[in-house]
Amino acid sequence: MAVPVEEAIAALSTFSLEDDQPELQGPGVWVSTERGATESPIEYSDVSAYRLSLAEDTKALNQLNALIHEGKEMASVLYTYRSCVKALPQLPESMKQSQADLYLETYQVLDLEMSRLREIQRWQASAASKLAADMQRFSRPERRINGPSVTHLWSMLKLLDVLVQLDHLKNAKASIPNDFSWYKRTFTQVSIQWQDSDSMREELDDLQIFLSTRWAILLNLHVEMFRVNNVEDILQILIVFAVESLELDFALLYPERHVLLRILPVLVVLATSSEKDSESLYKRVKINRLINIFKSDPVIPAFPDLHLSPAAILKELSIYFQKFAAQARLLTLPAPHELPPREAQEYQRHYLIINHIGAIRAEHDDFTIRFASSMNQLLLLKSTENPDIEWCKDVKGNMYDMVVEGFQLLSRWTARIWEQCAWKFSRPCKDVISLESHETSSFSDYEKVVRHNYSAEERKALVELVSYIKSIGSMMQQCDTLVADALWETIHAEVQDFVQNTLATMLRTTFRKKKEISRILSDMRTLSADWMANRSKSESEAQSMQRGEESKVNFFFPRPVAPTATQVHCLQFLIYEVVSGGNLRKPGGLFGNSASEIPINDLKQLETFFYKLSFFLHIFDYTATVATLTDLGFLWFREFYLETSRVIQFPIECSLPWMLVDYVLESQNAGLIESALFPLDIYNDSAQHALVTLKQRFLYDEIEAEVDHCFDIFVSKLCDSIFTHYKSWAAREMLDSSFLFAIDNGEKYSVQPIRFNALLKITRVKLLGRTIDLRSLVAQRMNKIFRENLEFLFDRFESQDLCAILELEKLMDVLKVTHELLSKDLLIDSFSLMLNEMQENLSLVSFSSRLASQIWSEMQNDFLPNFILCNTTQRFVRLSKVPSVPVQKPSVPHAKPNFYFGTQDLNSAHQSFARLHSGFFGMTHMFSIARLLGSRSLPWLIRALLDHISNKIAVLEPMISGLQEALPRSIGLLPFDGGVAGCMRSINENLNWEAKSELRLEVLHGIKEIGSVLYLISLLDIVLRELDITHFMQTAPWLGIIPGVDGQIFHSQDGESPIVSLFKSATSAAVSNPGNPNGMSYYTMSKQAEAADLLYRSNLNTGSVLEYALAFTSAALDKYCSKWSAAPKTGFVDITTSKDFYRIYSGLQIGYLEESAQSPSNNHELLGDSVAWGGCTIVYLLGQQLQFELFDFSYQVLNISEAEDGTFVQTQKNSQYMQGWESLIEAMKKARRLNNHVFSMLKARCPLEDKTACAIKQSGAPLHRVKFENTVSAFETLPQKGAVN
Amino acid sequence: MARAGGITNAVNVGIAVQADWENREFISHISINIRRLFDFLVHFEATTKSKLASLNEKLDTLERRLEMLEVQVSTASANPSLFTT
Repeated sequence: MAVPVEEAIAALSTFSLEDDQPELQGPGVWVSTERGATESPIEYSDVSAYRLSLAEDTKALNQLNALIHEGKEMASVLYTYRSCVKALPQLPESMKQSQADLYLETYQVLDLEMSRLREIQRWQASAASKLAADMQRFSRPERRINGPSVTHLWSMLKLLDVLVQLDHLKNAKASIPNDFSWYKRTFTQVSIQWQDSDSMREELDDLQIFLSTRWAILLNLHVEMFRVNNVEDILQILIVFAVESLELDFALLYPERHVLLRILPVLVVLATSSEKDSESLYKRVKINRLINIFKSDPVIPAFPDLHLSPAAILKELSIYFQKFAAQARLLTLPAPHELPPREAQEYQRHYLIINHIGAIRAEHDDFTIRFASSMNQLLLLKSTENPDIEWCKDVKGNMYDMVVEGFQLLSRWTARIWEQCAWKFSRPCKDVISLESHETSSFSDYEKVVRHNYSAEERKALVELVSYIKSIGSMMQQCDTLVADALWETIHAEVQDFVQNTLATMLRTTFRKKKEISRILSDMRTLSADWMANRSKSESEAQSMQRGEESKVNFFFPRPVAPTATQVHCLQFLIYEVVSGGNLRKPGGLFGNSASEIPINDLKQLETFFYKLSFFLHIFDYTATVATLTDLGFLWFREFYLETSRVIQFPIECSLPWMLVDYVLESQNAGLIESALFPLDIYNDSAQHALVTLKQRFLYDEIEAEVDHCFDIFVSKLCDSIFTHYKSWAAREMLDSSFLFAIDNGEKYSVQPIRFNALLKITRVKLLGRTIDLRSLVAQRMNKIFRENLEFLFDRFESQDLCAILELEKLMDVLKVTHELLSKDLLIDSFSLMLNEMQENLSLVSFSSRLASQIWSEMQNDFLPNFILCNTTQRFVRLSKVPSVPVQKPSVPHAKPNFYFGTQDLNSAHQSFARLHSGFFGMTHMFSIARLLGSRSLPWLIRALLDHISNKIAVLEPMISGLQEALPRSIGLLPFDGGVAGCMRSINENLNWEAKSELRLEVLHGIKEIGSVLYLISLLDIVLRELDITHFMQTAPWLGIIPGVDGQIFHSQDGESPIVSLFKSATSAAVSNPGNPNGMSYYTMSKQAEAADLLYRSNLNTGSVLEYALAFTSAALDKYCSKWSAAPKTGFVDITTSKDFYRIYSGLQIGYLEESAQSPSNNHELLGDSVAWGGCTIVYLLGQQLQFELFDFSYQVLNISEAEDGTFVQTQKNSQYMQGWESLIEAMKKARRLNNHVFSMLKARCPLEDKTACAIKQSGAPLHRVKFENTVSAFETLPQKGAVN
Repeated sequence: MARAGGITNAVNVGIAVQADWENREFISHISINIRRLFDFLVHFEATTKSKLASLNEKLDTLERRLEMLEVQVSTASANPSLFTT
């Protein structure tokens, strides 16, 4: 019968259920067949089957349990009671006439709430009388019925606890009497019209007395108990039982321990308040024992946000119980707020988790390892066939021990949290260190006890402890079904060993003579022994059984079945009977009874088994116990503080679970980040508590709202810190290593590694029954952050000038590396996709991009007009003057440091580097442009620059015509005899452009811009060359290319290039190998290799950008050739009447040279060296270089001054003669040098084709058809903008 | 002093207890296997969910790539004249 089920279940394990998810959350799913910890699932209805005459006891027991259940519901009604009066509307003046209606409505609303209170009042009365009756019945000295059993004692204690809790709640909730008085007022208003309201009024008065009397429930109970004066015995038994259990502290889990601690002071008060001799209690229990217990726990957790203190309870009750007031020793116990500072320090040390976290950590690590290893042993056992019996028992016993230890650990840890909370509530933070000084300094009470009451260290410890509890809880919960039968088997073995062997020994030896006791012992055997557990075993085992019999020990085979709760209950009862001898009045404790007739050894055995039995119950309810022990939901609830603070709800900053989550994220602690999800489990617990235990929907709604809010913040904060971390990691990688080596404080740039990858793997976060895919949320946000970051970088670049391109490139690189690093842990969009998207160049037919058009517009509007070239440094610098063309720019957008380089320190390091390059534009910037734009947008930029040249030329043309018109009809060579001064005078006479100085300046600017563009292109040419060469070096070996002299290229072999042949041979090898399954992919690869070969081969010999630009300019000039370069009518070089371009430029040049000489370092700064580049290029391309060099005014002046130097070298007058002209001469020399440099460059890069012209020999005879260099030969038909028809 | 205990019909109770042990062995066998089945289902659900999540993740990325490609193609096909020489 059993085999097919087993096989079927075993077959399920063939499914692969691996999903690579780290366990970063507490247990989430509870599959449980038990009803709840330590309760009988069938209400002990099977007790009667054992015929122990326990029917009365069982009936009373069940009645008490039902009352406990009801009482807990009442308690949750009271705990979650919120004032209705606050929500009542006020009538405006205009509606006073309908006041009566309002009263009626209010009455109806309040009546519902008040009926609940009335119900509580009725319930407590009946519960108290039932409890009292129960106690009286079972404590008669002449005993007629069996009982009370231990379970029964527990039920009494628990019911007492519930009643006292109700009293505490009623005392603490101020809103209840408040609401009631309102209700009563409305009742008097409403009831005027009613006929018979007297009985109702009486009832109301009754309820009012109940509600307004402190300790009404307890006083009522006291009256009920002592109506017949013989409950002292049972009270004493209860006290003894509680004290012994607390002192032994073995089988108690924390909820039970807290019940005992809460109820003990009340029991003591009740027991000493009787009329009869109140000192008899202290004969059984020494008062020091009680005081020790009260002292060791000065605060006891009772409700999530309300603690109790035994000292305070005793003190308060002494007013109501006159007899008890005489107990001076108990009354002098200090309440928690009265503790002397030294003792408080001592307690503080005990209560704060921070002082124990080291030990807890060690316990946790140790336990996890041992638990896992015994799990492994168990799995190994299950997979072994025919395991050795001893080993089997060993492994399972070990597992059982581990589970017991685990429960005890969990219980201890969760109790620590409860107790720390209670301690914190009892000692609110006195001096709030106001971190945010702008906030108002008044804090609510809840803020004082929670928000400001936990230091950073304490939060850390709490997070750690919470995650330990939750992780061990989930570890234990997961193996529930695996260990269950092993646990049952061990328990079965323990029970059977006791009843079959230990009891047998006892029966044979100690109790042979004692009829009564031996009957009880044999009853124990009857009701639980499993004699037949060995029936279907194999031969060898049967033999070993026989061996067992030989050694006088019953040998039995464990059965994986646990005893029922009833069996445990009966066994405990019988043991109790044996020990107490059925006499409740016997002095002394339960097992500490030295006057007993039972030998100490047997007593010890009975005691151990007795407590073991009570722990078995927790193990039967495995999942329920784990759930109870890992329930941390109480950390959220704050009903009492809500009421006293008069607010609807506290902000989430005051919420302890969120404080913990927030702490994990803010602390950036690498060890904690994986625990970030554990505090969120607290919300799961509290939601569960709100729904299942408190049964209040509004609480759940509040929790849900808070969780929604928290989780949003959590994800956004998490993403932010992930991004910052990866960004700073990347930025740190990108820092110059030699810089890092050289600096002293390099550690401030180091990035502490944080393991986000475990969090990034999580695809299911269990939150309030929902499953959230954290990974996809993070990925979504990351995609967005990267895009925002790119957007920000472009915005920032747009608000700066062209020099910022270098910084932009750096930032982009860092972002790219960030993306690369993050992509290892998270699947996000590819960087190029995001870049293209943000660059707005997704289109296949557009080659501009956001960046390219920005660069171009920046060049056009700012760079070309406002930057000047320095030929020596090869840099452009900004004019120091106010720019002639003011530039409108958006202001620099503001962003967090993680949009730059991560952290502040890294930002300053990288930015100080970028600042070095922010003042000029040079080769490095050109490199950045080339890299950022790439081969896609660069041609677009070049084309835009070239068009700019041709446009400028077209604009210049009419201006130059204007200047040409203003030239005199003829200008001869300068007179030699006037010296430098004479020359200058004659030039100034001839060039009477004063009227046209505006025009002259504009032409100069135009020429300067053309020169700047050409120089830019020459820079770009150098950059592209370098990139090309790198590219070539990388591809050449694969393409089989060998570079030769003069840029020639040889192919190493005929036919295919190495890359193609390599892949082809690989493909053929792969295809011919039959074992290879994917020959097709090799084929694809070889095709791709061919494509790559084709692509890279065609890209090999790219031309020079500069040469192209020069040819383009030349073609653009062709249109104006006739105007600017008139062919001499005579065929000879025209000297005097020429109005060619070179003459205009010559005039312009001498003009500005003169100006710059007059006011040094002024004019030069206005125009820079690019004028020479522009002017000389046009002159050269028009074929007028020779004419220029011959007839330029400044050259002529220089010639004259050189000649003068030669003539006057010996005379002393020299200095005087040259006076005033030195600087001009110097400037002219400089200009000539520069011009020569430009011409030589042009000759190299753009050689002119020889043309024929007339020349004159030295003899004076004309010589026809002489060859000389003139214009560019190629590209004469280049397309020109606007010229295309 | 009345001692408790004293099972009235000890032999019958003993037989019943023995039978009870055996019946309960069967019950606990069934119940643990049902719990194992539940456990399996819970696990199965969880792993399936995370597998679906990773599939979803890949689909998301593909979808965005596809979107981009579609945009690119549409820009190209909007101007067919560019491709006629």
